[in-house]
Amino acid sequence: MTSFLIRRLGLSVVLLFIISIISFFIVTLTPGSPYPWGELNPKISAEVKANFRKKFHLDRPLHEQYALIMRDLFTGDLRSIKDDRPVMSRIMERLPATLALNFTAILISLSFGTLLGVYAARNAGRWQDMAGSFVAFLFIALPSFWISYLLAIVLVKGFHVPILGTHSYGIEFPNGFATGLDTLWHLLLPATVLAIGGIAAQSRYLRATMIGTLREDYIRTARSKGLAEETVLYKHALRNSIRPLVTGIGMLLPALISGAVIVENIFAYPGMGRLGYEAVLERDYPTLVALNFVVAALVLIGNLLSDLLYAAVDPRVRLE
Amino acid sequence: MRTLRLFLYGIPAALLILLAAAFLNATFLSVAKKNEMSIGTLGEPSTLNPIQQADSASSQVGGLIFNGLIKYNQNLEIVGDLATKWELSQETTFEFATVEEAERLKNRWQSILLFGRYAGLVPAGLQKYLESCNPVTSIETQGNKVIVLLNQAGQTFSNILLSDLKTNHFSPLSFPPLEPGGKERPFKTEPIIRFNLRDGVRWHDGASFTSADVAFTYRAIMNEKVASPRRSDFKLVDSVETPDARTVVVRYKKPFSPALLSWMTAILPEHILGKLDPSKWPEAYNRAPVGTGPFKFGEWKTNEFIRLKRNPDYFLGSPWLDSVVFRVLPDPLTLQLAFQTRQVDFWNVDPWAVKGLQGDPRFDLFSAPGNAYNYIGWNLRRPMFQDLKVRQALAQAVNVPQMIKYILYGHGVQSTGIFTPQMWFFDSSVKPLAYDPEAAKKLLDEAGWKPGPDGIRVKNGQRFSFTLLANNGNEVRRDIATLVQDDLKKVGIEVKVEIYEWAVLLKRFVNKGEFDAIVLGWGLGYDFDQYSIWHSSQTHPEELNFVGFSDPKVDHLLTDLRQEYARPEIIRIAGELQQTIYGQQPYLFLFVPEGTEVMWKGAYRLRHPGPDGTWIDEPVHMTKAGWSYDMEWFYRPEYTPKPTANTITR
Repeated sequence: MTSFLIRRLGLSVVLLFIISIISFFIVTLTPGSPYPWGELNPKISAEVKANFRKKFHLDRPLHEQYALIMRDLFTGDLRSIKDDRPVMSRIMERLPATLALNFTAILISLSFGTLLGVYAARNAGRWQDMAGSFVAFLFIALPSFWISYLLAIVLVKGFHVPILGTHSYGIEFPNGFATGLDTLWHLLLPATVLAIGGIAAQSRYLRATMIGTLREDYIRTARSKGLAEETVLYKHALRNSIRPLVTGIGMLLPALISGAVIVENIFAYPGMGRLGYEAVLERDYPTLVALNFVVAALVLIGNLLSDLLYAAVDPRVRLE
Repeated sequence: MRTLRLFLYGIPAALLILLAAAFLNATFLSVAKKNEMSIGTLGEPSTLNPIQQADSASSQVGGLIFNGLIKYNQNLEIVGDLATKWELSQETTFEFATVEEAERLKNRWQSILLFGRYAGLVPAGLQKYLESCNPVTSIETQGNKVIVLLNQAGQTFSNILLSDLKTNHFSPLSFPPLEPGGKERPFKTEPIIRFNLRDGVRWHDGASFTSADVAFTYRAIMNEKVASPRRSDFKLVDSVETPDARTVVVRYKKPFSPALLSWMTAILPEHILGKLDPSKWPEAYNRAPVGTGPFKFGEWKTNEFIRLKRNPDYFLGSPWLDSVVFRVLPDPLTLQLAFQTRQVDFWNVDPWAVKGLQGDPRFDLFSAPGNAYNYIGWNLRRPMFQDLKVRQALAQAVNVPQMIKYILYGHGVQSTGIFTPQMWFFDSSVKPLAYDPEAAKKLLDEAGWKPGPDGIRVKNGQRFSFTLLANNGNEVRRDIATLVQDDLKKVGIEVKVEIYEWAVLLKRFVNKGEFDAIVLGWGLGYDFDQYSIWHSSQTHPEELNFVGFSDPKVDHLLTDLRQEYARPEIIRIAGELQQTIYGQQPYLFLFVPEGTEVMWKGAYRLRHPGPDGTWIDEPVHMTKAGWSYDMEWFYRPEYTPKPTANTITR
């Protein structure tokens, strides 16, 4: 176990290094340049532009730029081109909101996905299953921005419900309970939109393995022993079908973070996805590189956790 | 098993209940009534330090927190802000080999210019001129130098002095050039602006505002560590002196009239920033600034909002609103929803949506042409575009009114040259070339381009065919290119349209000057100085005269304009410049798009200081400086006391 952890962590460091190189070059080789004032601006002199390039090392060759960015990233001196603040503090002030959003989204997709998956497997081949399949594929196919816009229009125009930001702006709450519910509302709404694809995917994975498991001999044995159908389903079948879900958690995180870019923008939610989106538009290289680094680290941690969970739910798997 | 089932059903059920409760809670919320103005912005300000910013979101917020020394009033005339008065003067210095020669010249000019003895000394024409306006206030010698002090600035009078001295056989020594590689100068002309500062102005933290703050702001802008985009505006400043706490004297190295406008720059507090290294500013100051303006900084929640609070001690009087909040809503659709549910008070509408709102009794609309125009730049290095007749024909062959109708839904005006109608030096006597394909054909015939076998015009065996470039992601420019292609086909010109990424377009074509024609736009302030766009010295790679325009008269006018300080003269020269360039048609000047802002009807009125201690109370309306001019004096009728006796209501 310990040697497994050490190996995995070592591998992660190497992986992070490679990711940082790739992401740096993707970011800097994209057409465009990071002038905060636009490129054809008659008010900005060549001297000011040169001074700016020098300040952010943009006048150096790319490999030197990479070295300088990594040096600054680890010494904490890396500053955003947009507002000249340390990049890590810009990321850290958004990290809690992003983590809250993504964990809620994971919770929603796993819980509903499991429920629907079991239901579909149980009714495999019947109309409930067909309807479930239809809805699941619909959910996977619908782009999240479309769902977000639709929700926004219906909720705001139909019900006059505030949806933007992390809490309703300009409202005095009668008590802490209402405040809490309001914050929860602003978290649950984007999280649900984000989770919709995940629910559908998880339920499909689970349905497929569960149908396979239900054909196993030990299930027939359990049934013929006269066990209640519920017990057969949940105790015997589900436990043995849960592995793909665990793998799914590791894959959910990157999908959620990339999906969050759009959803965070539409709901004006102050998370890391929006930070990244703005940084791409502004060609804010330091922020982008640091952000990619943090997201890659999060994903690697997610994968490690899902491997550990894997061992926990399946005694045949040993971490060595 | 129980626990498993509990989780399986319990978690989704709990989530559903929470969602329902949160939704119900949200439906019962009602916005608390507050005396607050709410403005939605798509982009978040990068910093609230006005000398480090160049984006519009930042300057919109900064405009309420800070003041400059001077500002534009609603008619775009320059008036005092932190300064109550400013005076222009100028020192012109001539240097000679000997002290005697200097003394001789001083005596000559003293008798002419100070004592008015003209007879036999100057020609009659000059005498008349001097009698009507003599700008000289003193003439002195300093060793071998003669220093003439004028009560105006500019190059003109110094040139008169130079020619007088030459015709009378004085031989001045040269001064070294200002920039390395520049020309030697026969005299030194140093304009001086003297600002008298307003009394009793306090920073938001209570400290007094003094001339030291102005001198500090200048030093900060010039400090390389600050990396101010405004630095080039102050490059010609020689010194900033503060003889006392209420006076600032700025001396320039040479006449440069746009320099006066640069003092609209917000002034920063020395008592806070002076002790602080600029690398510490972003955390310590730029997100919680202290200014002198009508609103104080309140709170900045990153990616959510910035709230400003009323400054009751504002030097012009306390604003009416308790607070102003700028909400960052990055998505245009949600911003629109926020406006419709009155979460933000204003909405900048796209042209296509304006029609649906016009005549709606719920809204007030404010429309005006912006400070930007779209054009097609002809590469004048290409032989086919060098003939003026051809360029005129191209302008007459393209149906610009139709373009405005289909691309801007009618919300724009046809451009008549390098300035836009909102600018105070715009010459409205310049009329656009009318759409007339027949006239265009005739001009092309005259220029020697005759229709060829395939309908495309030919001259000396060359077909009239060129590539028109535009940038990806800009639908307006893409549509322009398509319409131009169609219009020019009708007069026998073949246009191939190519669309590139913005960065590629700049790097491969614009910066190198290697293109035939290109669809672009200029976004301009109220600055009359367009030297960098039109002067023939600015045609090198990466410079802004990328079409390669070169005209001696225009060069002359551009140089005169940036040395002219008097408003009527600026208007005259700028008008001539606009006419001359429009006559030359180096661009096909297309249109100036109109911006439209919507406000809920009567949500705000305006009560602002008028002349002699009165107040003026009027509806929010369009001014030359835009609908949001004087925004600090907007008020909500339901929260604001009735006007006092000295208020004029309109």
